[in-house]
Amino acid sequence: MHGSIPNAEATSAACGVASHALVEATLAEIPGLREQPVPEGVPALPPRYLRHCDEQTVVGIRAVLAAIAVHPEPRPTFTDYGVVAAPCQAGRIATAQSLAMLRTAGGVAVSPHIVPQCSLHSLAGAVSVALGMHGPNLGSSGGEHAVSEGLFASLSLLAADPSLPGIWLVVSGWTQEPLLDASGKPIDSTPQHALSGPICRALAVALTANEDAVADKGISRHLTLHMPATLRIAHPAAESLGAAAEILDFAVGLAAGPAASWSHNCPWGAEIRLAPRSTVHDGLRAEQRAIPRREAA
Amino acid sequence: MIVVTHPAREAVVITGIGAVTPLGHSFEVIAENLIAGRSGIRSIDPSAFARESHQFAAAVDLIPTPPNGICTIDAEGFVGLTRLEQMVISPVAHAIADAGLAPHRDRLRIGLVLGLGAEQLKMWELDFLSGGRQVFEPLHGDTLVHRVADLMNLRGPAMTVAAACASSGYAMALGRAWLNAGWVDACVVGGCDVLSPTALAAFYNLRALSRRSDDPAKASRPFDRDRDGFVMGEGGACFVLEPLSAAHRRDARVYGELAGVGMSSDASHMVSPCSDPVQATRAITQALADAHVTADEIDYVNAHAAGTPVGDAAEAGAIRRALGAAFDRVPVSSTKSMSGHLVSGAAAFEAVACLAAIARQAVPPTLNLDHPDDQCQLDHVPHVARARSVTVTASNSFGFGGANLCLVIREAA
Repeated sequence: MHGSIPNAEATSAACGVASHALVEATLAEIPGLREQPVPEGVPALPPRYLRHCDEQTVVGIRAVLAAIAVHPEPRPTFTDYGVVAAPCQAGRIATAQSLAMLRTAGGVAVSPHIVPQCSLHSLAGAVSVALGMHGPNLGSSGGEHAVSEGLFASLSLLAADPSLPGIWLVVSGWTQEPLLDASGKPIDSTPQHALSGPICRALAVALTANEDAVADKGISRHLTLHMPATLRIAHPAAESLGAAAEILDFAVGLAAGPAASWSHNCPWGAEIRLAPRSTVHDGLRAEQRAIPRREAA
Repeated sequence: MIVVTHPAREAVVITGIGAVTPLGHSFEVIAENLIAGRSGIRSIDPSAFARESHQFAAAVDLIPTPPNGICTIDAEGFVGLTRLEQMVISPVAHAIADAGLAPHRDRLRIGLVLGLGAEQLKMWELDFLSGGRQVFEPLHGDTLVHRVADLMNLRGPAMTVAAACASSGYAMALGRAWLNAGWVDACVVGGCDVLSPTALAAFYNLRALSRRSDDPAKASRPFDRDRDGFVMGEGGACFVLEPLSAAHRRDARVYGELAGVGMSSDASHMVSPCSDPVQATRAITQALADAHVTADEIDYVNAHAAGTPVGDAAEAGAIRRALGAAFDRVPVSSTKSMSGHLVSGAAAFEAVACLAAIARQAVPPTLNLDHPDDQCQLDHVPHVARARSVTVTASNSFGFGGANLCLVIREAA
């Protein structure tokens, strides 16, 4: 059931999708990803940069590097880009280990890295620092609605700051949360369990703000935001497929080719659609000409 | 067919405040304590925090229950919630009640953006310390912001954001962006944090906390040459934001306007601020430009200044650069000298301090600023409040990951 909104207007926002990459890793593979060299043509990470990072940060940064490697621009720069990262239950393994140490050895044994490296903001901060991005960086969600909140936060930042050229969006989560022993060590991290155990999944997407700026850069698709025309009765929290499944769904949509479309429903009723660029071009032009309200035919 | 429409941008104003802080839980009490220069920092029960050498903080004793009729939880149910849940629900509910927005929830798109930097760490910790095993065998579950939206019958977008110690300021910035874009009719924004044994230990081991355990009220000394780190606090604040015209139509009390936002990242280091504060400066100048004010028009800067040797000096440099020739005539203070560092809730609490300065026409002081550091030259307000005309304020917040934020808050037209 929906109610009407007396003073609501149809609103939307849009941004370009320049490149994307999905990276998945088992628990056993993550230590190797901490040390792995970056792809050719991609900025190098500072030495041992990923040593203390949360597992989702490791996989998330690898996804960003992979997306840079397939970016349509030959030498893309992201100096003024912002970063939005939406990990799901980030830092759980480090938290479990810290709590176990707190109980057995006291506060002195708690890692100083847990707050800076294993919290909701950490993935966004790590991407910003690693790649020298000076736009705003923030974490979002932390739970089941990582795709909804990550996309919405990205579009919010682009709406808030018209000078922002783009956003790196990273969404991440586990296909199943690793079980931990009493010391916080993953029970199923051994190689023999690698194929059936939890997989850490991260999707990085380069979102671009300005239609004119991206017109000649090989960007063929846009994301558009469509706010609901009616009020939801309540937040339908139980509708989520889970972060990892929604990430995969988004990645499949992105991988389906330039003519394919995809859509995602946010829990508050908004819809986010992926569509070929020409479909939304007229609408965006209308906005740029500062026409207050216009329906594109 | 795609429709792209944007309403004409108008002033976004604050019409409701809810707060749970070491300096009180109502705007009037907090303002009174800030202007009087009272410290909320004191000794805490060490048995609860597993660190013999760190026994002081700015703690909240009693979290007020939500007003009647705001959320679908009664006083008995509220008592049964975790401390973090109480700390979030209480200020959201009080902000909605203060704004008089409750009767309008059925017909308005009211958004909710909460700055909660370590919600899960705190929830896992609270569960673990009471004998639970959620951190070892977690269930997928909703984050607090969606449960709060449901409890409060808020039907707009709901989102958690985290930018470490700037989290609640980013929540305010996003809420304002939603209003400017016409995506919501009103938005509840803010954030909070709770004291936590793990966080206390981690910050202590990072050497970020003051070790002046002999005199807790003297420990938080931003900009002082003898500062040695910050003092943890807890609490936070939430606000109702709405367009000025909507506030006028409802005849709502207007505390002030969220007039400008500036955001940037150092991209330098995950923990330490950049020694060259060019990006922090950029956040401040962006916020002033967004608010269409010049440095000369700023009447008060509420500094992030937590009392860390590196951070305070870097921020002082950023403020000097951003204010230019006006730097020695714009009063600057750090209210963390009284409240401690509310971490995720700090930016929202310091927005309350800016509103208090406007309401009381006085700049709150920096306590314990006995010997201003030569590297922190500014127009300080040491020890006691300074009476002066305050119309336009700026508030800085910085966080791990190099997050920089400045909010301009001014008297509403």
